[in-house]
Amino acid sequence: MPENVLEKEDTPSIWERTVLRTYLVTSLVYPLWLAGIWLAPYLKSHSSRWASLVYALYAPVCHQVAGRSFFCFGQPLAVCARCSGIYVGFLLGLGVFPWLRKKGRLSLPSARVFLLVSAPIVLDTAANFLKVWSTPSVIRLVTGLLWGAILPFYFIPGVTDLFVTRRKNRLKSLPASP
Amino acid sequence: MTQQRPGMFQPALICGLAAGVLTAVPLINCLCCLWIIGGAILAAFLFSKRSPQPLTPGDGAVLGIMTGIVAAVADAIVSLPFEAMNREYVQRFLDQFSQFFEEMPRGWEKLVESRAAGASPAWFLLGLLASAVIYAAMGALGGVIGASTFARPKNPPAQGSPGETSPDPSHRQP
Repeated sequence: MPENVLEKEDTPSIWERTVLRTYLVTSLVYPLWLAGIWLAPYLKSHSSRWASLVYALYAPVCHQVAGRSFFCFGQPLAVCARCSGIYVGFLLGLGVFPWLRKKGRLSLPSARVFLLVSAPIVLDTAANFLKVWSTPSVIRLVTGLLWGAILPFYFIPGVTDLFVTRRKNRLKSLPASP
Repeated sequence: MTQQRPGMFQPALICGLAAGVLTAVPLINCLCCLWIIGGAILAAFLFSKRSPQPLTPGDGAVLGIMTGIVAAVADAIVSLPFEAMNREYVQRFLDQFSQFFEEMPRGWEKLVESRAAGASPAWFLLGLLASAVIYAAMGALGGVIGASTFARPKNPPAQGSPGETSPDPSHRQP
């Protein structure tokens, strides 16, 4: 996969340690967010009073139209089919990230790869929005999956770079020892 | 590099406002989180156009977080007039919190009552806080994508300068 490689001035050990920490924290926290998507219909099917709270948590990031969502336990998921695809895709991307990333350096997918992966979701979303066509939920899921899978390859290195650079700046600002 | 540069706030403000408004308006909001990610990518583009220095992924993340927070504020404010149009969504909130009466602490009852009477500052701030956290994470993602897409090559560092290494050509993938 062709990649943009940006200059990294930090020692590989600091970088690797920070990547590992970012990856572990993301891998621990993210499944909780993902689980909520299925937790909402489960709670609703059991007439739990917490169901609405879980649905409400996802409301800012999804239109939650039932007709465009998959159903589980007889209830719509907390997000639409496309968003489900993006979130599940992110998890798949997290799963393969350790094997596909370039070790010891900051590398991000190239613009060409990003455009290639984004083209289906952009095209399908635009066409649905403009009523050119109406795709079934499975197609929405697949376009979301494809796009979501590339996101960890931006998120992990980006957040790692943020922490590494902040650490470096903090060390620079310390007075030199005599 | 991740120290906030003087020109960082303006693109974050412009793109955050645009993304927040588009997220709040009914019908257009069908693009879900893509408005926030798209807004952060656009902010990175605007910033990289103005800045003489290249935008690093860390900078992009900071810019995206700022864009996400601005978008959350804009979304919360713009959503207020649309609240009446979105009765079903509001009703869901009310139903849910009226069910909490038995379990929730006493303070919550007053909060629910005030929510039923109309928009209360407490509910507004609670929703804003939740949106800000979620939008900031999505904005960070968009900012890094923007930094990657619109990054320009750095000028080669002066030879012998401490802590600086020239970009290693072997890092570039075929």
